[in-house]
Amino acid sequence: MRQRLIQWVGIAWTFIYAALVVWLYANAPQSLGDVATHASVAAGTYEVDRARFDAGRELFLREQYAAARGEWERADPARRDARTQFYVAYSFYRQGWGRVYNDDALFREGLEAAERANALSPDAPLAVEDPELKIHTAAELRAELAGGLQRTPEDFNPLKVFRERK
Amino acid sequence: MSSRRTNNALLRFVLLPTIFLTVALLGGVRVLTQGGALVFLPPPLVTLVLAVMLLVLFARGGAVRFGGWLSADNTPAENVSHALTLAALFFASAQAFNSVLPEAGLPRLVLAFFFLWTLWQNQFSQFDARRLLRSLAALFGTAFVVKHLLLASLYGRGEGWLSRLAAAALEGVTLGTLSGPAYADSTGYISFFALALYVCGLALLPPTPGGEAGLPEGGAAQLARALARLPAVERERVLDAFETQGAPALPKGEGRARPTAEITGEVVGLPATDEEGAG
Repeated sequence: MRQRLIQWVGIAWTFIYAALVVWLYANAPQSLGDVATHASVAAGTYEVDRARFDAGRELFLREQYAAARGEWERADPARRDARTQFYVAYSFYRQGWGRVYNDDALFREGLEAAERANALSPDAPLAVEDPELKIHTAAELRAELAGGLQRTPEDFNPLKVFRERK
Repeated sequence: MSSRRTNNALLRFVLLPTIFLTVALLGGVRVLTQGGALVFLPPPLVTLVLAVMLLVLFARGGAVRFGGWLSADNTPAENVSHALTLAALFFASAQAFNSVLPEAGLPRLVLAFFFLWTLWQNQFSQFDARRLLRSLAALFGTAFVVKHLLLASLYGRGEGWLSRLAAAALEGVTLGTLSGPAYADSTGYISFFALALYVCGLALLPPTPGGEAGLPEGGAAQLARALARLPAVERERVLDAFETQGAPALPKGEGRARPTAEITGEVVGLPATDEEGAG
């Protein structure tokens, strides 16, 4: 009876430990802090640090885009929050936007973040109600970033300098 | 249930899988010099091939008798548990190789070839379990010294003129393929711990689930196997020698007690002897 108990405990323990090893290799956390973040995502208890998010938004409104992204990175280290990723994409858009030409590298990173935001809200289109923003949906932002990366004859229109940043 | 049987069960069902899974986990862990970020390297294909060769070697050397671990005589739960232990042993072996193989370049190629050659040669050698374990400890120890002491000192160059000179010389010999990723010293400690644990696990692993861990095969079984391998003529000679010289007698009280049975009965149809007639 006791041997059978040890057997079943051993089997259960081996499965759990093997799953942990596979999980670690699949997620490749870079630090012990990352391990905790990934574990909370897997357990469904992951939450964005609201204070850091608000601090990032303050910086964003003051046009400190890189610093804002730093705060949002700490607020959402697993990049699992659609709203935060929307703001990250928006910061790339605003920083990369130019009256004469756009910064393609920043727009590309913005596009990646917008796609992440889109992917994180599969049930309904992501809409952010923020009066300080001019674009309110992830799909719209994505289209704006993708359009900025395209080369069209419109790029040579001198009247382009009068367009407005959103 | 005696404590011996409990300990045996704990070893087989809990301790051995834990040891081998820990080796499988730690064997691929590296720590980058910059920022101290952890890197998890899954076993590359060459280490899986090496692990298969090593398991075949375990079977040939009698260190693991797969027929005993997975058998129709075992209960289903035992077979599941043993299969998990053997799977853990396989991945631990692959990650132990991963732990001592350089990450890239000519050193990786050379060391991978060294492992393949050694394991291939060993397939045709006579081994017992204990000698195989010693040979493996030496193999992994050598590879550890090469990767984590010699090559690591060359990767982390610029500290002394001697190391810079050696690096420059080897750079020329290896056509510039000596460079590798810079890992922190803690990578070597993790690798050392993983290898030590792996060798401990192998020492604790019994050839069959019911057998004693780490004990060599009995001399009688070895002799019987050696006798069976001899050509028929040679075998005849050995048996003749035993018959003519006589096998050494066992001291009184030693040896296996043979069961004896007295057969009694009556033979029908034969004339009775005098003794029987007198009775």
